[in-house]
Amino acid sequence: MTTLLAQEAPAPAARRAHPAGTRRPRRRPDQIRSSVAAWIAVAVIGLFALLPLYWLLVTAVSPKDQAFQFPPKFIPTDFTLENFRAFAENEALFDYMVNSVIVAVLTSLLSVVVATYMGYSFSKFRYRGRKSLMNFVLASQMFPQALLLITLYAVFRQFGLLGSYTALILSFATFTMPLCVWMLKGIFDTVPDALLEAAAIDGASRWRTLHTIVAPLAAPGMIAAGLFAFVRGWNDFIFALTLADKDTMTLPPGLVNTYIGEFQTAWPALMAASLVVSLPVVIAFMFLQRYLVGGLTAGAVKS
Amino acid sequence: MRTSGIDRRTTLRLFGAATAGIAGAGALGACAPSGGSTDSGGDAKAKNFGFTSWSLNEEATKAEVNKIVKGWESGHKAKIKTTAYPYNEYLQQLTLKLNGGEISGAVHLDIAWLAAIAQMGKLVDLGDVAGEGGYTDVALTSGQYEKKQYGLPWTTGSIGVIGNQKLLDEAGIKKHPVTIAEFEDALRALKELKGVTPYAAATKVAQLKDIFPWMQTFGCTILDGDKVTIGDDASIDAVEWYKKLHDAKLIAKDVDRFDARALFGQGTVGFYDDAVIGKGATLATAKDKNLADAMVPVPRPVLKKGDDPQALLWGGVLAVVKGEGSDSAADFALHATSDVPTAVSYFGKTAMPPTTAKGLADPKVAADTFTSDWTKKITKTATPGPFWAYAKNAQIEEAVAKQVQAVLVGQSSARDAMKRARDEVTTLIKE
Repeated sequence: MTTLLAQEAPAPAARRAHPAGTRRPRRRPDQIRSSVAAWIAVAVIGLFALLPLYWLLVTAVSPKDQAFQFPPKFIPTDFTLENFRAFAENEALFDYMVNSVIVAVLTSLLSVVVATYMGYSFSKFRYRGRKSLMNFVLASQMFPQALLLITLYAVFRQFGLLGSYTALILSFATFTMPLCVWMLKGIFDTVPDALLEAAAIDGASRWRTLHTIVAPLAAPGMIAAGLFAFVRGWNDFIFALTLADKDTMTLPPGLVNTYIGEFQTAWPALMAASLVVSLPVVIAFMFLQRYLVGGLTAGAVKS
Repeated sequence: MRTSGIDRRTTLRLFGAATAGIAGAGALGACAPSGGSTDSGGDAKAKNFGFTSWSLNEEATKAEVNKIVKGWESGHKAKIKTTAYPYNEYLQQLTLKLNGGEISGAVHLDIAWLAAIAQMGKLVDLGDVAGEGGYTDVALTSGQYEKKQYGLPWTTGSIGVIGNQKLLDEAGIKKHPVTIAEFEDALRALKELKGVTPYAAATKVAQLKDIFPWMQTFGCTILDGDKVTIGDDASIDAVEWYKKLHDAKLIAKDVDRFDARALFGQGTVGFYDDAVIGKGATLATAKDKNLADAMVPVPRPVLKKGDDPQALLWGGVLAVVKGEGSDSAADFALHATSDVPTAVSYFGKTAMPPTTAKGLADPKVAADTFTSDWTKKITKTATPGPFWAYAKNAQIEEAVAKQVQAVLVGQSSARDAMKRARDEVTTLIKE
């Protein structure tokens, strides 16, 4: 396809010269109209996606009285870093951030490790109840979170786990596991059985085949699954609020607790804090996006 | 024939698995902590106890509330375990954790939630303790449910009308309007000023419960025993009047409390509705730092001279959960709410008005003319929300608000909308 495009595209110099008989065909008015409409649609969708981010940034650097100006100023005239300074000086927010990192990383690891074994089992082994178990894993996604919240609260209370990292990690993994399992099963499905048979002929045990042959091949998918679980653990609000205590509170409930009050919301400070706490996720995506895209699509099409 | 990835057998399996899962969740739910128990257990005389409040974490209040906690701990050689939830999530979290027996000691409650929490049967009757506090009558009332004192009033105020005296002067309004007719005249005078919204009344569903005091002003009782009176002539008159202000652009479209504060903060609003504490929130975002001098409490105009101005009671109480440390928690609640130096210091930092006669008479409190005027002119005749006693209070308020909004946008007549509101509310209070 690359070759074909290269052949079809005229060289820039040739395009400028427009020799007789090779002139670019003039576009018809209806083509121009549809092209303009397409660009307008792209611009509107782009605005829809980027305007909230722009507004987050503008509010974060605006003094309090400007942030509340009505009608709002889309291009701010006064700037301040006071909101970022206040965030940096708030020790409690730092504690919440550490808790978020611990919980999100461990949720991610737990989800990937368990989902790898489950996905591999579903993909490469045939045993009684396999399909039912697969469907059961999928069915767990059907429950409303509120129902699970009350149930998990009762279970963790019985086991004395309320207020612990364990309660948060297990509850987040409840939601991340099904998607991770199905994502990784799809990826393992694309690994040819002949490869596993060749490994077996060479004397590799099933354990070794998974860890030294299959797992490296599925690494992009595992990273994608891990990233998904990390974001889920990083962003959760209601489970963290209900199951954590003062010492294990994560950022989302911590930020709400700090900035959204009975009578007023400190929007500029909240926006600055939101900007800072979203950076780890943005950085993770920037470094791992090629794995994410590859991992998400790897199991989508079977040869 | 298989036409997709999911065949009939798979679908049946999926449903089977889902049913099994729901049954499992139901079984686990059945194991969930029930509200049957009325006592969280433990030694009521224990020195250590818990304290749950949304104010422990909010920027505006946390330093002062934590100071009260630390002061008690050092003075009584006791340990208070503090827990905070955001205000908007507080009731949900408190209900879940009270049911689970996870919360003990003193709990901070919005007076609008007192009835719902008291109905759980977990709160101590503080009638004996309340007598020692010297609270004002209206404050004591805010902590009562079914004639029992479940809460000691920590702060008592009301939601009333705030005016911008500077704009009123500019519009030539010599005295604050007393009747509805005078109020309308004042709004029309304010409308003559360029760029001014005469009355930033709530017109968004989120705050349209502000219509209740206006309904009461027109003579609707809203609730008579268990009978909903919304839909009577008085309530229809009130909504039609609101619609008249809306159509005449004397009130603005799509305004809630936050919008009203932002607009008032820019000096472009003549009147708006807020709690006494709302003054601080408005000034925090105001550009004109002298706006505080122009803010005046205005008793809600009445239908005819001599009627009581209507206002919604607002405030917070400290309640005590039965069980571990409840005796010490009751002493702590009494100290936090009625000790004059503590209450005055709390007022100085948070503008939350004290609830005792001595606290209100303290020179530092009395010197704040806005608060003392508010207490005398507005809180004095304030009444509790008509549906606070019902667990579905929020849904009830929303049901009425939606019908009022339907009238404002011209989708319904006031008569039809209020009839629908009455039917919906009647259903909700019976559920």
